[in-house]
Order: sequence, then C-alpha cells, then structure tokens
Amino acid sequence: MSAAPGDVETDAVPDAETDAVPQSARWLVGALFILLLVPGLVGFDLWPLTGWRLFSLARDETQTLWVLEAVDEDGSSRLVDVEELPLRYRHAEWPMADLPGASTARRQAVCEALLGAVVDIEPATAELRIARDRARLEKGDGGWTVIDDLEVIHTCRPADLEVGDA
Amino acid sequence: MTRLRRWVDEALWGPETALRLAVVYAGLSVLIGLRIALGSYRQLADTPPALVDPVPILGWLDRMPSAEVIVGIQVVGVLAAVAAVLRRNPRLAFAVAWLCYLVLAGLRGSRGKVLHNDLLLLWASAPFLLAPVAVDVRDRIARRRYGWPIRVAMVITALVYFLAGYHKLRRSGIDWVLGDNMRYVMLWGPSIGEAQWESMARWVGEHLWAAKASGAFILGVEISFPVVLVVRRLQAWYALAAVFLHVTTWFVLGLDYWAWAATVALLFIDWPAVARWVRRLSRGTADVRESRATLPVPGA
Repeated sequence: MSAAPGDVETDAVPDAETDAVPQSARWLVGALFILLLVPGLVGFDLWPLTGWRLFSLARDETQTLWVLEAVDEDGSSRLVDVEELPLRYRHAEWPMADLPGASTARRQAVCEALLGAVVDIEPATAELRIARDRARLEKGDGGWTVIDDLEVIHTCRPADLEVGDA
Repeated sequence: MTRLRRWVDEALWGPETALRLAVVYAGLSVLIGLRIALGSYRQLADTPPALVDPVPILGWLDRMPSAEVIVGIQVVGVLAAVAAVLRRNPRLAFAVAWLCYLVLAGLRGSRGKVLHNDLLLLWASAPFLLAPVAVDVRDRIARRRYGWPIRVAMVITALVYFLAGYHKLRRSGIDWVLGDNMRYVMLWGPSIGEAQWESMARWVGEHLWAAKASGAFILGVEISFPVVLVVRRLQAWYALAAVFLHVTTWFVLGLDYWAWAATVALLFIDWPAVARWVRRLSRGTADVRESRATLPVPGA
C-alpha cells in the first residue's frame, strides 16, 4: 500500500545499523538524568539544578512576610509593597528574610539598597523599617482581612545614605 | 531483553519522524528566542549589589552586569535562535541561543528566590544540543536517530512534573489536597506578582470544595504525569491539562508559566499528525461539498 503524500510509513522499519542513537547522545542523556534526579529527589537547589519544590509547603491562615514600612517625620507610617517598586527590587523579600542572622553592616546595606527606591515613591520618608510580619488571615463580616504583626529587624534613614556617599 | 529494559529503551530512544523532529526543534528555538527577546532582563541592570545573590552558575558575579551587556546577550541570543529556526549552522546556533537564555534566566534568578519559570524549557531543550542536524523532512520513516531528542525531552518533562508532585506529598502529605492548603494559596495570593483575575482566586478560596478540587487536579496531573510515557494516547490530554493548569495559575496567581505551557504542548502533541488530520478533514469536507455540487439532478 502506498502512503499518501505527507503520511507516515508506520510499518516501515529502518535498518538497525544505520539508525543507531549516537554514543555521545547516550552520555549527554545519562548526565542530564543524574543532574535532574539527584537534586530532584533529595530536594536541594543549585540553580539550574533544583528540587522542583513548587508550592510544596501547605499554606494556612498564618504567613511570615517581610515588609517595608516607610515612616514620615510626624511618625505616620505605611507599608510599602515591593510590587510598587521597580522590577529590580521585587524579590527583595528573600534578602530581607536572611537579615535576622546577618551582621549589622549587611542589614544596613540591604536597608540602604531599598531606601532610595522607597523615597522615590514616598518622598516624605524619614525612616525605613525592615520588618518581619507574622500576618494572619481572618474572616470578618466584610470578607477576609490580613492582620499584621510587625517585628522591626532593622531601620535606616536617608541621612545614612548621605553619610555613605560622603 | 527484559520487558522493563525494552520499555525504557522505547521511552528514551524510540523512533519519531524527521518532520516531527524539525517541528519540535524549530518550536523550541522560537520559544527560547521569544523568552530572550520579551523577558524583562534589562531592568535588572541597576539592581543594588546588596540585593544580588547570584545563582551558582553565575557565582563569580558580585553585581548585575550593565544594561549594555544584558542587551548584548539578548541580541546574540535572539539572532542565534533565528539562525537555529532557519537551520543556519543549527547545532552551534541552538547552543548559543540556549546558553544566552541560561545566563539571562540565571540573572533573573540571582535575587535570592529560586525561580522555576524558565527551567522546564531549559531542561527540555538540553537534549536538542546534540540533536541530528542532517534531517530530511521528506523521509517518512520514523527513526530512532530522529526520535531520541524528543523522547528524552518528554521523559525529562514527565519527571519534572512528577518531582513537583512528589515534593508536595513529601513535605505536606495528602493534606496538601484534603486540608485548607489551596484555600489559603488562593486567599493569600502570590508573594510576587499580581493575580489577573482576583475575584476568581477569592471565589475558589471561599468555596472549600473548589479549592480541594483544584488541589486534587494539580497533584493528580503532576504525580501521574509519567503515565504518558507508557500510555502514549494520553499524551495530548496531559498536555492540555498542563496548559490549563498554567493558564489558570496565571489568571488566579499572576505567575508567568507560559514557557512551561508552550513546551509541554510542543512536545506532547504530535503537530505534524495534527496537520495531517486537519488536511484530511478539510479534504473530506471538500469532497462532500464537491459531491453535493455534482449531484445528478432528476430530469436533467
């Protein structure tokens, strides 16, 4: 039976000798599977090697967040969402999460790195606080609300930037 | 040869046609080119050094490269991807595009958080670094030398989904589905990004049955994904399920996993077969139309 143009000859068997998978391909595939499966099964990350732990920890009504609190001269404050900052600051929660065990110099460096971007959107900022927020989600009459519980980890002021620049 | 060994041999090194290889190769090159061209990498240039935490393969960086360097990598990567699609020195072109994409995705992930958005495409494309370059698309015989890059990419993809499900069970147990987990995933929303359809996320979060059904669907698809390596007729269905999963994730959590959706659809749907099916269908419709037009008219 002849195949129509473009159809696949499913019954045709190619010559096994001329249709071999090259040895280099077998080596590459072996290496790829080791690099994929070892971190994948153990569960560690050495990007691009990864444990593929996407959303793997079950969430509940509490969550630890890392937040920025901009404080004005008069003491009024507001939480600044990192999503409001330019793209390069949007993953700042992860460096902030490492601060409790970090040196004062490191805390100050991260705080100052964020301060300039916060001042750009909140020019009246007199102090920036990096805080751990043990937030809780509660259902009220008007729907779900987040109850914040802030613990300030580090504070920096625009004057610190000027000292650093001097 | 034992049955298991035969099955592994078929799953990894089974035959495919030259046309399917060419389509997947070009498709992956297009995807890599689009990710390089459309990704917001340039904006990373002025990241303060204190917020830079380079991924291990870029561990020698103490700060982000300048915007000029990043744009340069993007230009080279896009040109290489175009050359790979046009099959101009395809092996070198594909390797350069893949490497540029790896570096750019690595830069994006060098801010503390482990990012997975680009990893499936990077991993699934890796076997194609050694894919055969002398491909005669008129060759209609399915051959192992054309098939192995596609088959290996399929196995990698199936394992990636399985591992994502495995870690959910390992770290949270079946409570990941049966508990309140998905309710709170929806109500808390993403830690990065914004939901495109916030009311939908809230609706799922407020209806526990919908939250649990979503959890069961996600874990079910992930953990059972390797089934497609045994039951090949399920491949297109799993591809559609994965596309649905990633599209809804974008709507309710705003997370950019379109590279995953496109990679799965490209690998697990036999596009040349779909094209043949559409051609046959349209030929059939045309034949019916023609036969209606030439129906003998009584009395003529």
